[in-house]
Amino acid sequence: MPQFDPANFASQMFWFGVFFTLLYVVVVRPTLPKVGRVIEARETQVAGDLDRAEAAKATADTLRATHEAAMKAARDAAQAEVAKARDAAAKAADTQMKALAAKLDADAEAAATRLAAARTAARASLETTVADLTSEAVAKLAGITVTPADVSSALANR
Amino acid sequence: MANPMEQFKIETIAPISAGGFDLSFTNSSLWMLIALITVAAFLFIGTARPQLVPGRMQAAVELLYDFIRDMLRENVGKEGLKYAPLIFAVFVFVLACNLLGMVPFVHSFTPTSHIAVTFALAMIVFVLVVAVGFARHGLHFFSLFLPEGTPLFVAPLVAAIEFLSFLSRPFTLAIRLFANMTAGHVLMKVFGGFVVSLGAVNVGLGIIPLGVNVALTALELLIAVVQAYVFALLASIYLNDAVNLH
Repeated sequence: MPQFDPANFASQMFWFGVFFTLLYVVVVRPTLPKVGRVIEARETQVAGDLDRAEAAKATADTLRATHEAAMKAARDAAQAEVAKARDAAAKAADTQMKALAAKLDADAEAAATRLAAARTAARASLETTVADLTSEAVAKLAGITVTPADVSSALANR
Repeated sequence: MANPMEQFKIETIAPISAGGFDLSFTNSSLWMLIALITVAAFLFIGTARPQLVPGRMQAAVELLYDFIRDMLRENVGKEGLKYAPLIFAVFVFVLACNLLGMVPFVHSFTPTSHIAVTFALAMIVFVLVVAVGFARHGLHFFSLFLPEGTPLFVAPLVAAIEFLSFLSRPFTLAIRLFANMTAGHVLMKVFGGFVVSLGAVNVGLGIIPLGVNVALTALELLIAVVQAYVFALLASIYLNDAVNLH
């Protein structure tokens, strides 16, 4: 096997040394760190972008929370306003109703009083008329003079 | 039928010799140079104008680099990341050599099928581990050879075993890669030979080893990638010993 012939070892190792040194010093050393820096820059950028996205999301969340709170507050206020208006309207209607009912009651009372007075008056005038007629009738028929007052008291005593 | 070992023959292209050593530029050197140029083209194009949103080539470079960084992060921790360029260089060099050795029709050669190259690669890892270990922990690095909680009466034995296993790492690392590449290429060549010899008997018979070779080619491509990965993975596991002392 040519691999175990020491005669060519020196040449192989020499040229390997030359080419590997060239590879490391001239090719790898100047080029690879450039890529390494780019990779690091990219990682930094990606991490930064992610951080910014995180921050933006937090801001958006805060804004949404604020907005929702404002909406809720506005809705509550509106509802309170409506409830208040409704209560006020109901109260006003109630008061009016009560006032009307009181007035109607008062009117009915007055009418009833007037009616009773009229009835009493009518009855009194009827009794006077009856006494007058009776006294006239007695004077004409029996010739006895009886005053209407007598008739009235006689009627009252019966 | 061609000798299946012929593909591993080192052929001198330009003879050079210095200090009594034969340092000729060979086909092995040529394919290492091609691997170097391929990787250089890939990296230079991929990192020409690095952008936050990467283009195709940059994405490919990043994919490979992230792969190595993740491996180091997982096996060594954050401390290991500073060795990423070196482990990356080892990984792409092995990967390029392995894969370029699979290119057909161009008389390709796989430098990583030679133990001299894989051993040199393994020594880079070994020296790195030893250097990092002593630089970080000083003489305390030797505690690596005595796992915590070892009973005192077996301590010498355990230390000896641990030390030997530590010393054998560059050899296992080198032999694993070399053996995998060699065995796969031999197998492909053997079945390639079968295609010719059986096809000469009957054209229909030659189809069978041809089908096997198609499957073997796919397997070899997989092995080329997996062995580069295994090499880098073991390098990062060994590096973990040096950085964290178990």
